[in-house]
Amino acid sequence: MKWRPNPSKLLLEGPHIEMLISTTRPEFEEGRAIGLEYQKLRVHALIDTGASLTVINPQIASTCKLLQTDWNRITTVGGMADRFPAYAAAISFPGTDLPGFDVIRVVACPIIEQRFFSCLIGRDILRKWFLTYDGPNGEIEIRAS
Amino acid sequence: MTQEPILQEELKVFELHKPAWLQTHLGEFVVIVGSRVVGFHVNYESAFKAGLSAAGLGNNFLVKQVYAEEPVYLIY
Repeated sequence: MKWRPNPSKLLLEGPHIEMLISTTRPEFEEGRAIGLEYQKLRVHALIDTGASLTVINPQIASTCKLLQTDWNRITTVGGMADRFPAYAAAISFPGTDLPGFDVIRVVACPIIEQRFFSCLIGRDILRKWFLTYDGPNGEIEIRAS
Repeated sequence: MTQEPILQEELKVFELHKPAWLQTHLGEFVVIVGSRVVGFHVNYESAFKAGLSAAGLGNNFLVKQVYAEEPVYLIY
């Protein structure tokens, strides 16, 4: 997929993409079979080559009833280091041909709350993509490997 | 009454067995439900599915990669 936010917008906001996040597909299917309801949340995620992992706002984990599977140690640019809950989630990218993830680990960390995005797409997802950042033309292209 | 943080029992089991697992399962993902070690998997997804199957829907379980030092993930 390719999109052109324009150079100024790209400079200000960074490359972000819409994504759907929900409980994992196995939980979704098992739960629906017994009448449970799960919410798919549409959020904006910054494509962040500086993030080792995909990170979500903690409120998303709560809203989507994600299942915690670990605690991970995270260090941020300001030097803050702490342990944050890691959850299993499903992620897809509506309106694109990019393949989604039925089960992927995400870490809930409150450091990223601001107006343009509520998640960071980290290098765990980027390892599946080819990413082209064209600053002069304000253009982003992503291809799945 | 204070509630014990999620997965503390499983993490204690992990730490207890880690020295042995470093010799036999380095880099693999272990699944632990309560004090029970469910098994080892080559990736997070298959480990998660095994944990879900063992613990049941809505119940917590640990999925952790076996490393000598716990990785510190950087967010910049």
